[in-house]
Amino acid sequence: MTSSFPGPAGPAAGADGHAGEDLLAGYAAGTVDGVAVWSVEAHLTGCARCRSALSAHVDAERLAGNRSVLLVRAALPEGGRVRRLLCRCGVPDHLLRLLVATPSLRRSWLLSVAGVLAVVAGEAAAVTHGWLGTGGRMVPPGYLDPGILAPFLLVAPLLVLAGVAAAFLPMFDPAYRLAVAAPFSGVTLLLVRTVSALAAALVPVVAAAFVLPGPGWLPAALLLPSLALCAFALAAATVTDPRAAAVTAAALWALPVLLASAHVPLLMVQRNAQFVCAAVLCASAVVLFLRYDRFDIGWTR
Amino acid sequence: MTLNVRTAAVRAEGLSRRYGATRALDDVSLTLDRGITGLLGPNGAGKTTLLSILATVNEPDAGQVSVFGLDPRDAAERPEIRRRLGYLPQELGYHRHFTVAGFLDYVAILKEITDRRRRAEEVARVLAALGLERRARTRIRALSGGLRQRLGIAQALLGRPDLLILDEPTAGLDPEQRLRFRELLSGLPGDPVIVLSTHQADDIAAICPHVVVLLQGQVHFTGTPAELAATAAGRVWAACERDARAHLSWRGGDNRWRHIGDNPPAGAELVAPTVEDGYLLLSHAAGAR
Amino acid sequence: MRPGAAESDDAVLLRAVARGNEEALAALYDRHAGWLTVRMTRRCAMPDVVDQAVQDTFLVLWRGAGGYRGGGDVAAFIWGIGIRRLIDAIRRENGARRRPPWRAAEPEVVVSAEDQVLVGIEHGRLGQALAGLSPELRSAIEATVLDGLTCAEAAVLLGVAEGTVKSRCHRARVALRAALAEPQSGPDTTAPHREAWGTS
Repeated sequence: MTSSFPGPAGPAAGADGHAGEDLLAGYAAGTVDGVAVWSVEAHLTGCARCRSALSAHVDAERLAGNRSVLLVRAALPEGGRVRRLLCRCGVPDHLLRLLVATPSLRRSWLLSVAGVLAVVAGEAAAVTHGWLGTGGRMVPPGYLDPGILAPFLLVAPLLVLAGVAAAFLPMFDPAYRLAVAAPFSGVTLLLVRTVSALAAALVPVVAAAFVLPGPGWLPAALLLPSLALCAFALAAATVTDPRAAAVTAAALWALPVLLASAHVPLLMVQRNAQFVCAAVLCASAVVLFLRYDRFDIGWTR
Repeated sequence: MTLNVRTAAVRAEGLSRRYGATRALDDVSLTLDRGITGLLGPNGAGKTTLLSILATVNEPDAGQVSVFGLDPRDAAERPEIRRRLGYLPQELGYHRHFTVAGFLDYVAILKEITDRRRRAEEVARVLAALGLERRARTRIRALSGGLRQRLGIAQALLGRPDLLILDEPTAGLDPEQRLRFRELLSGLPGDPVIVLSTHQADDIAAICPHVVVLLQGQVHFTGTPAELAATAAGRVWAACERDARAHLSWRGGDNRWRHIGDNPPAGAELVAPTVEDGYLLLSHAAGAR
Repeated sequence: MRPGAAESDDAVLLRAVARGNEEALAALYDRHAGWLTVRMTRRCAMPDVVDQAVQDTFLVLWRGAGGYRGGGDVAAFIWGIGIRRLIDAIRRENGARRRPPWRAAEPEVVVSAEDQVLVGIEHGRLGQALAGLSPELRSAIEATVLDGLTCAEAAVLLGVAEGTVKSRCHRARVALRAALAEPQSGPDTTAPHREAWGTS
């Protein structure tokens, strides 16, 4: 039963208090005008039956398309706090999502790094404070034996190197061949991963260095060796097999430290060594600059 | 650089590749056109090496490749090829913690789909094409082998590639899934160049209108499956007993022996050769050399 | 169908969605995406933007950030989220490129949701007064008062400057006060309309 009454665009209402088909069709099509639409929208808020009747007037394909896209978006993991912060700082969202695939940013990896540092630094701190034995050496309490820093000096830059190696070594990326065959610039991918791995590794290392008993410049002194080591490994990777490059870099640090720690433990981070590290860093940077396009090709040997 | 995607094809000439002392590819030349081409050969024949070279993942020691008129050796043209490429490597590994949707999203970014909305639409499209919608949130480590394979095919389809390279795509698929895979390939819009490798002849017979047989790093046959079967014409026979003169014999489902050989005995009951027969004969001949 | 039953179903679905039940999300979408799409289209003529906003709305529900506290219209709750997502989507499109056709808004936020009152308004004095406003003034009032948007949000929706929205609202209020202060002209036309709609 429809009743005609004065007013804007007489809508046809059903007899049972629900919106009639014509009204709904008109509302969906945008032909119902003016203030009459209020009634429809107010009614729809409370009436599920008319809501589903209205759905029939919407393009089914459009609804289905949105549905599948919605379910995909719902299936994607949401960013953590760090990611949101970086996004707000202007880092493009797709670069951040790429980092999901970087092993050295995974919680398990970071926890391992933290664990190793805790053990090494903790041991050094404990020995200094006399909680652990001094291995037979006679030391007065409060005396800072440089020898206890040797394990930390050995391990810290190697941890940074390990993080960066995990970012560029193919063996750490199961979908490595897909990354190579994809148009996304291999160099950009490497850069993103390396920088984030460096940041993620340097922070705990430097933080541990602050905790350690030792000279105040120790945290800063670790930066150049770590960076030099990583740069060397990357540069070597453009020349030879990446795994060999990473192992060589690790050996080039470990051997001197082990040899030096017997006599002068801090030698590896003191002034002369810093100059050497800076030189290595510069030389590696030059090599990388000249040969960076090697990272674009598959390394299957 | 003009790019004619409609009529150009993929060409390889004189490709060679060694791994140490092994020669994976020896002077391989072939042409791929629109439609599906099957690369048939046993394990170790060089199929994976050839496909990885075509996919710009590997470099040949010698020879030329031209993909839609572009040269993969040219650092500037390589990304252009990769923009039109979809690749499923053999034994594709997955980051274990990824979900299905997360992994596809990651590959979509690698394919330079930077817009989040377009990426979600593409991922939804390939999920629907491979019937994986319900698994969008499943972690990959929880998927069965067949589902992982479908995921691998799905990621290759992202971005609607013009060249689809699939290395052993039917491995781990049951017959029903292979049927759907066949339908999927023949129904792809844009008529891409598709090359897939397999060591099973019945895949070729069912899916590929064009086949290349690769044995020991060399091309031994190029043509249609019917032609491949025809190479064994007159050299396949059935008998009730085993025949020592045959190169290969096996007992069929009907309890009769099927023989393949160059010299069937006089009066033998010749049977129509299948694609597999032609392939086995070629294989045997190559092995004998 | 008893409205109560549908409401409690929806509330149950909503809680399931917030807990991470994917099927509940799909079911909620199937129930509500249709009217949400239409209602948003009434306010923004760009279908891509509306699609985005619809998806974003359900994503907010999925992530549980909506904060539905139970009791009350689920549909109204969804609309409250939806209109804000629509504003955001429009903003992301660098502001509305053209003025969307603004029809009318449902005043559930400010005015009581009683159908009868609203139905009465349509042909009652307030409705007549509103109908007497020019379209820009009416849209400004409807965006700010009826949909409950801030002036900044209304500015995005209508595609004008914030100052313009404020001045239009002011002029509209002046006109409405004037119109409502007049003695009622013409017969009361609400009765037959209420009959046509029936009681809810």
